[in-house]
Amino acid sequence: MKQIIILSVLLLGSFSLFSQTAEEISKKSTDAIDVGNMEMVSTIHIRDAKGNDRVRQITTASKTYGDVTKMLIKFMAPADVKGTILLVYDYENQTDNMWVYMPALRKVRRIVSSEKGKSFMGSEFTNADMSKPSSIDFDYQTVGSEIYNDRSCWEIESKCKTEAIQNENGFSRCVSFIDKANYLCYKVEFFDFEGKLHRVQTIDNYKKQANGKYFAYKMAMENVQTGRKSEMITNQFQTGSQLSESVFTPAALEK
Amino acid sequence: MKRIFILLLSALSFLFLPAQSLFESALDLPTTANEQTTKLSLGGFVRGSVYGGAKNYDLTSTFAELALKTRFDKGKAFLESDIRLRKAVFFDENVQMIQLKELYAGYRGEKLDVLLGNQIVSWGRADGFNPTNNITPNDYFFLSADPDDQKESNFMLRMKLRFIPAVELELIGIPFYQASNYRYDLFDMGENVAFGSEIIPSKDLKNGTLAARLNFEFPVAGWSLSYFRGYDPYHGFDVQSVDWSTGLPLLTNVAVSYLKTTAGADFAIPIGKSVFRGEVAYNITKTIDNKMYIPLPDVSYVAEIESNLAGFTMVGQYIGKFVPDFSALVFPVLSDPLNSTAQMQYTNELIDYENRLFNRRIFNQQEKTNHAVSLTVNKSFGYDNWNAECTAYFNFTSDEWLIRPKLIWKINDNLSAAIGGNYMQGKVKTLFGYSSTVMNGGFAELRVTF
Repeated sequence: MKQIIILSVLLLGSFSLFSQTAEEISKKSTDAIDVGNMEMVSTIHIRDAKGNDRVRQITTASKTYGDVTKMLIKFMAPADVKGTILLVYDYENQTDNMWVYMPALRKVRRIVSSEKGKSFMGSEFTNADMSKPSSIDFDYQTVGSEIYNDRSCWEIESKCKTEAIQNENGFSRCVSFIDKANYLCYKVEFFDFEGKLHRVQTIDNYKKQANGKYFAYKMAMENVQTGRKSEMITNQFQTGSQLSESVFTPAALEK
Repeated sequence: MKRIFILLLSALSFLFLPAQSLFESALDLPTTANEQTTKLSLGGFVRGSVYGGAKNYDLTSTFAELALKTRFDKGKAFLESDIRLRKAVFFDENVQMIQLKELYAGYRGEKLDVLLGNQIVSWGRADGFNPTNNITPNDYFFLSADPDDQKESNFMLRMKLRFIPAVELELIGIPFYQASNYRYDLFDMGENVAFGSEIIPSKDLKNGTLAARLNFEFPVAGWSLSYFRGYDPYHGFDVQSVDWSTGLPLLTNVAVSYLKTTAGADFAIPIGKSVFRGEVAYNITKTIDNKMYIPLPDVSYVAEIESNLAGFTMVGQYIGKFVPDFSALVFPVLSDPLNSTAQMQYTNELIDYENRLFNRRIFNQQEKTNHAVSLTVNKSFGYDNWNAECTAYFNFTSDEWLIRPKLIWKINDNLSAAIGGNYMQGKVKTLFGYSSTVMNGGFAELRVTF
């Protein structure tokens, strides 16, 4: 769950192009959007094949302390989940700690980590899409080059190493389109367990932040098998966070 | 209590200006007034609910309800309200009411929170069965799709002191006792049993409740120690009178509250992809004159594991109770069937026996050690638009069981529907045996949230 804004588009490999391996390309792509501490307000539109629209709104704050990134996600809409807050302690080398505060329960509850392949808030995005991928879980390969939206991109494939990793992430492999000029990723194609194209993610509206990193204000995910499409728009964003560490604690969730 | 009120006054006297981050300012509906940020949040829901199909009622509970929830913040001061307007037919009786589900004012600071008013408190890390949670009364006969609807607030002063972010001391003072609501008058307990007005403690501060909880929440584990001293909302019954005027005994039972002291503890430890939870409470009572409505001292405990398996969230629990001073009730013997005095004595002993047994069932003190298990399975599917849940409970000691399935469909962002059922079964004269004729059945709810 580290850094909700960072997409799982950064896939490492051993294939070399222009003396860069897929791993190196992905690493640079990761670095390009690693904004560090941040706060943001996002809206997710979920549209089914009939055009019905559902809207989710969340606010997120993330801050790193030593080897742990602490993240708060507060649900603002729809009304039935308004006020619910999720607190995640994301560690590099151990299982995450998670707590949830639901106003109806009137207490903070420690919960177990959700499956990565599960839908994020009922959208086409999965929890894995919201997370930074673990590089050791994939085999990487540069499978070609393509002009995408007038940009020359590498096509980098990441393939799940085991069936268990497939099941956890909800896909067998994916191909990322990474800009050769600035290492920004503009598109990711996800393939299901049978190797068929399942979901296509597009990433737009990158803006350079004060710290030199890039942030994408618009992302869309289309399920090409069902016709459902979800769009995540960042309404407000800032690098850094004014929140004190005491806010990132279970005791503060009830406030 | 004086100290508590002095603390409250001093806490409210130094509200100060907050600095707002994007995360904070984006919440609710912020407006800026002078130097302090003011937020007003309005929400709630309207629902129609039907619960019926029991042996004794076609429709046990039908109601339409408006819940109006308000939250107002200005600086560190705030108020919170949950007000319900309800038009209902409960157990064939018309009810129209305004309920203050919660209504309180407060101050929230970095180290200290002070809250005063009607609040619902949920102590204990276990789910559903919380032996350390003796503060909030329940209306066990408010039948709806959501068991949390049964929680009722109490007027209280509540303070939270945070020594460090992970360590919090909570202090609660409740001036006036409020009992949980039982409707045993609805049960088929025989024509010779009636229920009188409950006997509750007078509204004197000496009959108030004091409770404290020292809570620790660290990444590796969370745990707490708690203390409660007061009258238990979960009261017992006494035989108020026996009327022999008709030749047969006519009993009038009354609810009677009892004083108890509880020392409790709980914990939650994440291990891998599971969370282990536990809760234990040592309940100390004084059974003066061997009053039947006062339970024996006991140790109540819950052990719980929650895991995710193939997309299903499962919560398994063991619920136990140990009664150190337990001794079995002795069934009375008629010493001389031809002696009227002996017959009278025998009948009185029989009445005493039956009612003691009834109270022991209420208190789950039917054996020296009492055992029960429960399992809840929950799964969301269809892009979280559907949620299915089923809870099953079995009491090994009393041979009672319950099953409660529920399905929720989120039709759109504001409209949801829930259907389900509640089926319990127990032997004759057990709690579930009595309850099943009233509380078994199906339910349906349609809700619009705003």
